[in-house]
Amino acid sequence: MKAEKLKGHLDLLLLSVLSRGPGHGYEVITRLKVRSDGAFQLPEGTVYPALHRLEGAGLLASGWDVVAGRRRRIYHLTMAGEAALAEQAAQWREFSGSMTRVLGASALATAGGMA
Amino acid sequence: MSGGTSDAPSDLIEDYLDRLLVSLSGSPRQVRHTLAEVEAHLRDAEAEGIAAGLPEETAQVQALERIGPVHAVTGRPAGLVRPSAALLRRLTLTAALIGGAGFVAIGGAGLVGRLLQVLKGNLFMTTPFPPGTYTQADCARWLAGDPGTRSCVTAMLADHAFDYLLQATACGLLGLAGLAAYLFLRRRWSDRATATALPAGAAEGLGAILAGIAAVACFGQVVDLETVQRGIGVGEPLSLGIAAAVAAGAFAFALWHRLRTVRMRTT
Repeated sequence: MKAEKLKGHLDLLLLSVLSRGPGHGYEVITRLKVRSDGAFQLPEGTVYPALHRLEGAGLLASGWDVVAGRRRRIYHLTMAGEAALAEQAAQWREFSGSMTRVLGASALATAGGMA
Repeated sequence: MSGGTSDAPSDLIEDYLDRLLVSLSGSPRQVRHTLAEVEAHLRDAEAEGIAAGLPEETAQVQALERIGPVHAVTGRPAGLVRPSAALLRRLTLTAALIGGAGFVAIGGAGLVGRLLQVLKGNLFMTTPFPPGTYTQADCARWLAGDPGTRSCVTAMLADHAFDYLLQATACGLLGLAGLAAYLFLRRRWSDRATATALPAGAAEGLGAILAGIAAVACFGQVVDLETVQRGIGVGEPLSLGIAAAVAAGAFAFALWHRLRTVRMRTT
């Protein structure tokens, strides 16, 4: 999937990935790829401004730790982040359900027209 | 982050981090943190590539392709990245080098001019004002400065030649101060980001071009004076042309030396 399409959903994706446990930037990107079966490909650098913005908004917090011999900034969800994730996930499900219903009806109509 | 200097061998990740450093905005702490995060990220990606059997340089290229351009990390479009502090430093160094060398060349022209004055006289050095364009008071002032002569024109020529040599000497001293400032600032700004903010040899190349243009213009004026005024006043443009040609040659040699050093470092 193209990076442009992911832009509007990046915050939700990052909150979701970090809801499974704290992680540093590289780890977050790796989890995102694995969980999307490699479908979500974006310039990895774009994750950092998003992480910093979410931290600035109080949805994430970070601390420094040494992992595998390297000093890393580990992010984790705050309480506000958990609440935001729940809200955004609910909105997405509602939007996704509506889209599926519309597309499903359209697909049926197309199939009917062809018959 | 490992320290790099302008003499260190090229490391693509270090170069990327240098560009990122000068493009990041925010508090010093935010900048340090982002830089550390991105370096850990790139080294992880590089290690992953090496573990997959890639050569180090290919692994670095792959890591950089994956992370994307610097503006992806800064979160601002490329056009909005603030003017690089390193670029401003490098431009200052370039201006100090070219300006300093240029003024020193004018000082050198003064020395050549003095030699020509001794050998060929003041009429060869400067052009007298046409009759009717100066007053008795001007004549009195010039004669007061040259008590050994009674001719207004001779005294005027001596005055003009002296002014030229005095101004050239002042320019030479100013140029030496400019070059001293250049050497001081170059030592102070010896970081890799500043060294790589402009292509290698940019200052030397620009200096060679400017000095070359100045030399051609001066020699053109020499030819013009030789043909139109039978050599009167040729000394000034001739001395400036010789100095400019020497400066152009020096810049060209420095450019050749710089490019050769860079080529040897990369092979």
